Amino acid sequence: MSKRVLVVDDSVFMRDLIRDIFASGGFTVVGEAGNGLEAVERFKELRPDLVTMDLVMPYRNGIDATREILRADASAIVVMVSALNQDTLLMDAFEAGAVDFIVKPPHAENVLAVAKKVLGLA
Amino acid sequence: MSFDSSRYLTLFVSEATEHLESLARVIVELEKKPTQEFVDEAFRHAHSLKGMSASMGFENTALLAHALEDVLAAAREQPGNFSKGTADAVLKCIDILSTHITAAQAGASFPGVADAIGELRRETQGSEKTSALSAQAVEVEKAPGTPSPRYRLVLKVSASSTQAGVRAFLAYKRLSALGQMVSVAPNLDDIRTGRIPQGVLSLELETAASEQEIRQRVSAVSHVSLESLTLSNPSPTGPPAEPVPVGQEAVRSVRVKAEDFDLLLDDSSEVLLATARLKGEAKTAKNAEDLLASIERVHALAKNLHQKVMLARLTPVSTMTDRWPRAVRDMARRKGREIEFMVEGDDVELDRAIIDALSEPLLHVLRNAVDHGLESPQERQMRGKDARGRIVVSVKRARDRVELLVKDNGRGFDVERLRQIAIERALLSPEAARALTEKEALMLACLPGVTTAFRVTDSSGRGVGMDAMKRAVESIGGRFDLESVAGESSTVRLSLPLTVAVLQVLLISAQSEIFGLPISSVAGVVALERQALSFSRDRPVLHFADEVVPVFVLAEVLGFPMRSIDASSASFVVVERDEGKVAFEVDALFGQEEAILKPLGKPLDTISALSGVTILSSGQPVFILDTGRLSLQPGPPRPNPSELTQAGLTLRNRSGLV
Repeated sequence: MSKRVLVVDDSVFMRDLIRDIFASGGFTVVGEAGNGLEAVERFKELRPDLVTMDLVMPYRNGIDATREILRADASAIVVMVSALNQDTLLMDAFEAGAVDFIVKPPHAENVLAVAKKVLGLA
Repeated sequence: MSFDSSRYLTLFVSEATEHLESLARVIVELEKKPTQEFVDEAFRHAHSLKGMSASMGFENTALLAHALEDVLAAAREQPGNFSKGTADAVLKCIDILSTHITAAQAGASFPGVADAIGELRRETQGSEKTSALSAQAVEVEKAPGTPSPRYRLVLKVSASSTQAGVRAFLAYKRLSALGQMVSVAPNLDDIRTGRIPQGVLSLELETAASEQEIRQRVSAVSHVSLESLTLSNPSPTGPPAEPVPVGQEAVRSVRVKAEDFDLLLDDSSEVLLATARLKGEAKTAKNAEDLLASIERVHALAKNLHQKVMLARLTPVSTMTDRWPRAVRDMARRKGREIEFMVEGDDVELDRAIIDALSEPLLHVLRNAVDHGLESPQERQMRGKDARGRIVVSVKRARDRVELLVKDNGRGFDVERLRQIAIERALLSPEAARALTEKEALMLACLPGVTTAFRVTDSSGRGVGMDAMKRAVESIGGRFDLESVAGESSTVRLSLPLTVAVLQVLLISAQSEIFGLPISSVAGVVALERQALSFSRDRPVLHFADEVVPVFVLAEVLGFPMRSIDASSASFVVVERDEGKVAFEVDALFGQEEAILKPLGKPLDTISALSGVTILSSGQPVFILDTGRLSLQPGPPRPNPSELTQAGLTLRNRSGLV
């Protein structure tokens, strides 16, 4: 069974882009969220195998959302999606429990490699 | 190469202490009113402590802080569930963490944490928390009992990586999750900002995980490779591997804002430049005036610098008061009291030395307020008061002084009882006791004998501590006052100087010896013909403003051998004392000077009349008189009016000093 992914980003464009990349790699995107608050709710409801999380979003940023998701399920796997020059935020996200990151703009090769690695598929 | 933590010890101790104090304060608030904001703040403190302790290699401390963080994380979900039990467990944990910090400072071994962690864990479970937290807590608890093997790792971040810092940090985080990180080089801040020489990181990790697990963790981070993995000596006990070489004396530190420090540096550079120029001018100067002008300039600069250094010593009162909500809460719980405690104006700044001198005695004052000042809830209700007592500490800046008030709405002082005790203890004759004004009688509470008796009866007043408070305040040039409204309130009022080290003094002489009197205690100066003195109960008095002030001859009070003075007019300095204003007759007044007060060495420091010594601009050393503590014995002399006309001479002869 293909791995289930939740894509979190406040930009619809970015969500579409990431969704397509995952689809091309044989993953199933089971849901999307446009802000941190929604992300936590969708996570609790869908229990995906992997969450890609934008760093900066309205209504709870990606770091707080990550923290809450991990509190709800310590085994959750969250990968941050960050622009360049967001190193500090990124490291805060690692503190919060994110396990890896993808750099925007997302390249299919990179996204899939990271996803496979964190899911233990590689 | 291991990270040299001893360099950071002082900073660690002061910062960790601040976090613990703030945490305790927040927990007390939280117990009263569980809000998200307070939980978040508490969490941040616990989190910082964990990080700092781990960076210092204090594993047990970090573990306990981690367990604490878990409890607070759980509370973050539902602040409303923050119970008294949780508060107790957390506060106990804070106490243990404090002992760790003390131990770290002394280079001693740390107390165990397993029990406290177990207790915290029960708290978390009690609040129906889910797997995530309990799982973490289990992992934590297991660690202190069974020391894990310690591995030394060398990692390399590939040179082609764009975000070397991020990747290195990620590797560090992922490895930390396996156990306890003991050391890391370069330090975390450097790693986070990507300052990693040659991309090489060395870490020491204590973990129960297998070598394979460690390898997997590293390989999961792209662009980071594991260069070497070796088993280093497992630490058998837990306390830091290398004892930290520090003295036994507590390090007293003052936090100085960076910009203040820069200003100091600027000023001292200017002083340096000015002295260099002065040196040049000294060689070429045609006349003394030019040189003098340059010297004046150096002096002004140095003075300015000195003033800035003094200002840099100012510390917010909160460094002292932050501990109090917790302390009061504990006292109240022990005593079965409900107390509302408030601190107002804790951002007011005072010299560090003043804060140090006051913080213990003030704690006594608070304890007294809780133990004796405030009534039991039942008694309060009977009297128609709110069952909850109230203690307010308020700090206010009033020109060049700071006023600190501790007020409780308890039963106040029983002034009659104070008089009675003073009589019972033979400290005062019944007549003298009756003669005391209300305010004077109140000050009896500061006599050691009286306070002890008060404590024994425990029914109507205060325990020990007032005397200690009064002494502490006066030793730093402050004033102490008590106010009481029977059945309603009592107030301890301190009036404090901002700094102790610089004192405005009035220079006077007595028997050709020059003394300084602190200007803060001088109410005024009067020049008068001796004949103009009047008498009250055979004691010479002078009229000062609307008051009648008793007159004493300073030289006599100081016990100097007397000699006659012919002058018929004299100068009188009126000073404030506990019992009211008193005028001292002095031989001459020399004006005001700014003195840098130096403490007295042995054996002079035992003389209570002297508060210190200063060096005048002439280079002459001058003692500063502590007019508040100067004993007015022998005397006061009781001349009759005819004797007075003989210009004070008689006064002296009668005192038997000649």
